Amino acid sequence: MKNLRYILVLCSILVSLSLSAQQQSAMRINEYLVTNTADFQDDFGQQNGYIELFNTSYGTVDIGGCYLSNDPNNLKKYIIPRGDVLTKINPRQHTLFWADNQPFRGTFHVNFTLAESDTVYFVSSDGRTVIDKIYIKKDLPENITYGRAEDGIGSNNGNGEGWQVMERTSPSTNNSGVDAESKSDRMGRLDPYGWIMTVTAMGVVFLALIILAIIFTYIGKMSVDRGQRKANKAAEDKGEKAPAAKAEDYSAEAFAAISVALHLYIEENEAHDEESFTITLQNETRKYSPWSSKIYGLRQTPQLKK
Amino acid sequence: MENIIDNLVQFWQFTGFANCNIQYLIMILIGIVFVYLGIKKEWEPLLLVPIGFGIIIGNIPLFPGLQVGIYEEGSVMNILYQGVQKGWYPPLIFMGIGAMTDFSALISNPKLLLIGAAAQFGIFGAYAIALALGFTPAEAGAIGIIGGADGPTAIFLSSRLAPDLMGAIAVSAYSYMALVPVIQPPIMKLLTTKKERLIKMKAPRAVSQNEKIIFPILGFLLTAFIVPSGLPLLGMLFFGNLLKESGVTKRLAETARGPLIDVITILIGVTVGCSTQADQFLSSSSIKIFALGALSFIIATTFGVLFVKFFNLFLKEGNKINPLIGNAGVSAVPDAARVSNSVGLEYDKKNYLLMHAMGPNVAGVIGSAVAAGILLGFLA
Repeated sequence: MKNLRYILVLCSILVSLSLSAQQQSAMRINEYLVTNTADFQDDFGQQNGYIELFNTSYGTVDIGGCYLSNDPNNLKKYIIPRGDVLTKINPRQHTLFWADNQPFRGTFHVNFTLAESDTVYFVSSDGRTVIDKIYIKKDLPENITYGRAEDGIGSNNGNGEGWQVMERTSPSTNNSGVDAESKSDRMGRLDPYGWIMTVTAMGVVFLALIILAIIFTYIGKMSVDRGQRKANKAAEDKGEKAPAAKAEDYSAEAFAAISVALHLYIEENEAHDEESFTITLQNETRKYSPWSSKIYGLRQTPQLKK
Repeated sequence: MENIIDNLVQFWQFTGFANCNIQYLIMILIGIVFVYLGIKKEWEPLLLVPIGFGIIIGNIPLFPGLQVGIYEEGSVMNILYQGVQKGWYPPLIFMGIGAMTDFSALISNPKLLLIGAAAQFGIFGAYAIALALGFTPAEAGAIGIIGGADGPTAIFLSSRLAPDLMGAIAVSAYSYMALVPVIQPPIMKLLTTKKERLIKMKAPRAVSQNEKIIFPILGFLLTAFIVPSGLPLLGMLFFGNLLKESGVTKRLAETARGPLIDVITILIGVTVGCSTQADQFLSSSSIKIFALGALSFIIATTFGVLFVKFFNLFLKEGNKINPLIGNAGVSAVPDAARVSNSVGLEYDKKNYLLMHAMGPNVAGVIGSAVAAGILLGFLA
């Protein structure tokens, strides 16, 4: 029992750790620009290379305490400061880090440039786990970015799967055009009369409930068989032959009738262990009541008995 | 003196009388009718009284900017309304429903689950008609769910798919749930023969506690894997049932099916009622929604009854199902099952269908939650 508790505590710790790691692991390097001469400007009006990160999850991720680096031997090269509200990245949103080697300009300015880098790493707050990495494409023209064809989609092991030279730069926004058509609009276009939806949805509802029905039909049979085996064993122990029971023999109505009979018997015979703690007050119709008798309020005269 | 008159004039402009118009009066009247029906006729009083009074609260003409109206951010009513808007009241109600539902009838006769599935045609029938009437697919989905006869599910889905129509959808769903004893019997009688109404069903077998414990776990895993978008409703429904059936969490089950569901029912009732402000509620859309709601109930009842008749073609004599329990496939628990029972007793004083009807009735709860998940997955 004690061991079981230790195991439970250990599991809880592991689960909480994995949850924390899971959140940061949802971040991806999404796009980068090495040489910026006529593209996006930072708050200082400067044009520099940048690294865009994307939160692939549907929850807010705080990247404070994580690292960006261009050195495999020093994964902690640039720590993203903790406590900055801007490091909390909203679900499915982007953030931009300027690779200008001027970290004193704020949270989002790292201490290296991409021109001097071979690979850029995004590292978990433990300083060891590389969450994402991507090689730096040396032949990338000026003001052209390299990025994921679709936000967050592709590998995170640095082989560039899912990456491409982008037709246009898209700092802090979607790499591919946002799908302007909502699911509802699409459904309206593809299924204007609702027949496809009706057939599909009813099919799924029936499927789910048919599977459930089949499973519980078998579980019910197993349960009845188990009950029969128990009855057989009990009868064998007594040296009797157990009657073959059918499902109907275990009628809920029979049990209900037995329960009611027992309940009535116990109630009527007041054979209960616990009192109901209900006080019932009834009007006393008799004029005389011991409560009003003065005799009880008087001390009786002691009588000497010889 | 002039200042006093100015003040009085200004005060008059703050009052409800100065801001009132006929729309507010109509809504207040509707609220009073709801309260009347709940108290005097005892039609779903636990729902109609809070909703009715909520309608009255929500339709007091307000001077805007006082931060008291339900649509004014930060007001008390607005904060209470978050549970509806963000959809966290319905799953809590589902937990309570799970904790008070006995799935024994269903477990003992699992084929009754299919009736619960068939009745969901009401949802998709209304969906198709709503599309034809010019609603968008998302709005049509939210309206269609009224046919599931499940208030919390209707609120949950409409808060995601069509927040603007939520008031009308919720009021419509709860109103028709209250009107189940009026809507269903004529359809049931129309679609069945006297011989069918007299079918006596086998008594359900007793169900072991192990089966009752396995049901919520397996039921949840299966339905949630098939329709993950229904997770909040299905998860809480089966979780509540596990609390009830496990036998070791009696206090939690008592809380879930007692004080907790009561608190949430009060909050959901009042705030949904309150959300029906005349300027947002009284529109041609609301009238269409009410008409579609009635239609969806009729379709659901029709398909439930017809499905049982169809199903009986494949069942041996002695195993046949009384089609009068087909109406219970809509998940108005336990009213729809009571209707089955009372209609059955009209034709045979000894034919008690209540326990049998509870099977499709609770299957309807699962079915409507699955259907809501599907609509959410396709349209949200």
